[in-house]
Amino acid sequence: MFHWLEQRPFFFAVALFLTVAFAGFVEIIPDFAKASQPTVGTKPYSVLELAGRQVYIKDSCNACHSQLVRPFKSETDRYGMYSLSGEYAYDRPFLWGSKRTGPDLMRVGNYRTTDWHENHMMAPSEVVPGSIMPAYPHQFTNEADIATAYANANTQKEVFGTPYDQADMPKLGSWDEANAQALDDAKAIAKDMKNQEVKDAVAGGKIPEVVALIAYLNSLK
Amino acid sequence: MQSNAQLEYDYSVVKAFTFATILFGIIGMLVGVIIAFQLAFPELSNLAGEYGTFGRLRPLHTNGVAFGFTLSGIFATWYYVGQRTLKMSLKESKLLMTVAKLHFGLYFLTILLAVVTLAMGFTSSKEYAELEWPLDVLVVVWWVLWGVAMFGMIGMRRERTIYVSTWYYMSSFLAVAMLYLFNNMEVPTFLWSGDAPSSLMHSISMYSGTNDALVQWWYGHNAVAFVFTTPIIGMIYYFLPKESGQNIFSYKLSVLAFWGLMFVYLWAGGHHLVYSTVPDWMQTMGSVMSVVLILPSWGSAINMLLTMKGEWQQLQTSPLIKFMILASTFYMLSTIEGPIQAIKSVNAIAHFTDWIPGHVHDGVLGWVGFMTIASLYHMAPRMFKREIYSKKLMDAQFWIQTVAIILYFTSMWIAGITQGMMWRAYDEYGSLLYSFIDTVTVLQPYYTIRAVGGLLYLIGFFMFAYNMYKTATVGRVLDREPANASPMAV
Amino acid sequence: MDQEILLTIQGYAKFFIILFVFIVFYSYAYSIYKRQRTGERDYEKYSKLVLDDSLDSTPLEERDRLEKKKS
Ligand code: HEC
Ligand code: HEM
Repeated sequence: MFHWLEQRPFFFAVALFLTVAFAGFVEIIPDFAKASQPTVGTKPYSVLELAGRQVYIKDSCNACHSQLVRPFKSETDRYGMYSLSGEYAYDRPFLWGSKRTGPDLMRVGNYRTTDWHENHMMAPSEVVPGSIMPAYPHQFTNEADIATAYANANTQKEVFGTPYDQADMPKLGSWDEANAQALDDAKAIAKDMKNQEVKDAVAGGKIPEVVALIAYLNSLK
Repeated sequence: MQSNAQLEYDYSVVKAFTFATILFGIIGMLVGVIIAFQLAFPELSNLAGEYGTFGRLRPLHTNGVAFGFTLSGIFATWYYVGQRTLKMSLKESKLLMTVAKLHFGLYFLTILLAVVTLAMGFTSSKEYAELEWPLDVLVVVWWVLWGVAMFGMIGMRRERTIYVSTWYYMSSFLAVAMLYLFNNMEVPTFLWSGDAPSSLMHSISMYSGTNDALVQWWYGHNAVAFVFTTPIIGMIYYFLPKESGQNIFSYKLSVLAFWGLMFVYLWAGGHHLVYSTVPDWMQTMGSVMSVVLILPSWGSAINMLLTMKGEWQQLQTSPLIKFMILASTFYMLSTIEGPIQAIKSVNAIAHFTDWIPGHVHDGVLGWVGFMTIASLYHMAPRMFKREIYSKKLMDAQFWIQTVAIILYFTSMWIAGITQGMMWRAYDEYGSLLYSFIDTVTVLQPYYTIRAVGGLLYLIGFFMFAYNMYKTATVGRVLDREPANASPMAV
Repeated sequence: MDQEILLTIQGYAKFFIILFVFIVFYSYAYSIYKRQRTGERDYEKYSKLVLDDSLDSTPLEERDRLEKKKS
């Protein structure tokens, strides 16, 4: 049988493809069905948080940080409750990471605050001596991309049925409404910050990346 | 007129891809060395503003070496091995020649764009699938072109039986096509932006959360298989027998090893059933049989080593053979290390630590890197019709890079295990012994050793590039093609 | 469908597929070694595809034999 295949490239390719593809489907399809149900209380991200998430992706914080607490005592003691599948229901893409050069951030919102992040993002090794995390001063001047964050949220709502604009869920509305809401949220964050330029920018209607990022980090609980 | 001229193999596309291999190799590994030093000396992360931070550069490194260096090596050797074992020349078909050239052009363009966009921060964040959607579309186009060229060449072959190397290239083509498509299903968000002036580049994944992770790991695991493993085996099945002039130890074994590998690889992620309701004995039998199936996948490496039977003195006389033999040795090392890391209790310690990059790099530096380098060295006298410029240089390169690899993986093993143990250490009162930062600072010396190792490897790669350049330009001209052992000047 | 049931189906499917693949694979292995021993087919000659690969050397097996019946 195989020898026959080996001289007929077309059928050979088909057989090969089936071998390769089949295993994949048996392996992942059943897991697929279960995983996507949100856990009670999990909510979609606000537009400002999504903008922060985009900053997190843009600067590939996931290159050094995981967001997946495994069910071991040593991990739950360090980071908090282990992760549940449903907690990630609104994560597109997922950000589990593969390498913990820095600590897990899945629940960092529980034990770090806005002003801690502010100092840390500007100069990590001044907050935590010996830290090898890069400093991110550019996030204090670059503007966050709220428009794309809105498009992101709206795509999730329209295409994937993420429950924005429903009872007890974050409001999205039109672009103008969402933009205004994001600015309000940013003002609430900037209130707790010390950096004068950031405060001025927000007061002037501009949202620096770091504000969005902190909104996102605070939402990780 | 055309018919009178003697027909020859066409190496123009091979040369173009060879150039790309060297260029992207230098870029990718240079970035690798930079990020390695950044972990040891973090101030280096802030020399080039946002564009120089570790996070931005790491995807640049992985994409540069995987899709730049390794893939162009695969393409270069495909157009070489393919023509020769099928006994057909690209010159015989205008169409295929055009397709192959287009393949190169679009590929090269994509990688250049990838370098720029990744540095600017356009990334989907999924490992080895970071490229944003416009680039993904380009990737699909040239992947299809590669397929057209491949099956076109096979269709025109003179030799009835298809040699086993080609099977391996075919398997990469098919598997990566499937994996890439499924993992990169994404929706550009500008289509639903309302009136918001949003970015055209941005997209989100079709899958969310855990599902996204499942697809990504299915892709990640197998992309490694079909980019870093199968095509490289294809290379060694051609270049080692050819360079040494030996018959393959057992062609039967190579045929079996092929199917063995195809069956095993896709089933290897066997951890999904552990919590399920199927009877225990069945789970156990499942794993036992997977282990038995692993044997054929070792078949290839052993087959290669035994091919040298009776001719081991070539190891002393030819640095090229040395590269290939060490490559298959590293292949054995990393394929035994991988399954060990997959054992649940080992994985609990190893996951997320530096042991993983350690494992990755004894595979990619020792196996992929050495095999690619050796293949290009072997092809050089045939495509440039010149003698290899310097054997001494090649020998020196071999030793420098071997030391480099050893420094790399030993330091990362130690670092990984240290870190894994420290994360889970408790004091006598039942509280965690180390704060996270302790587990970072302790690694500094290992990061330094790794970076030095990486630097040595890069230096070796520069020696390779120089040797190839000199071969192409000033090597002694050969009057006819060498059959086996590549000629090299002292 | 219920998650448990799915997982069970997956488990059985996986077990029997691996068993099937396992049997096919090893019977194939047995068959090639047998065919080599009885002289029905010489596999080792295919190494020549590499060692003798210039464009003008005679192919090991001509392609048009594909159309004719195997001798
Ligand atoms: C080179 C790898 C690296 C990168 C890239 C990186 N970090 Fe870190 N991060 C670390 C390390 C190491 C620590 C631990 C030391 C410290 O707290 O500074 C850390 C700590 C943190 C902490 C404190 C967590 C805690 O539990 O104390 C936060 C928050 C954080 N990083 C956020 C980020 C964000 C946001 C980004 C992306 C903009 C980022 N990191 C990028 C390495 C990195
Ligand atoms: C010049 C030598 C090289 C050096 C110094 C180097 C360095 C590095 C570093 C520092 C990382 C990041 C590890 C971390 O996050 O802790 C990395 C990751 C990686 N490198 Fe290299 N690298 C080199 C060559 C290569 C080559 C040649 C390849 C492939 C052909 C390669 C493939 C990878 C891959 C796949 C990863 C991701 C690993 C993971 O996700 O665990 N590297 N490398």
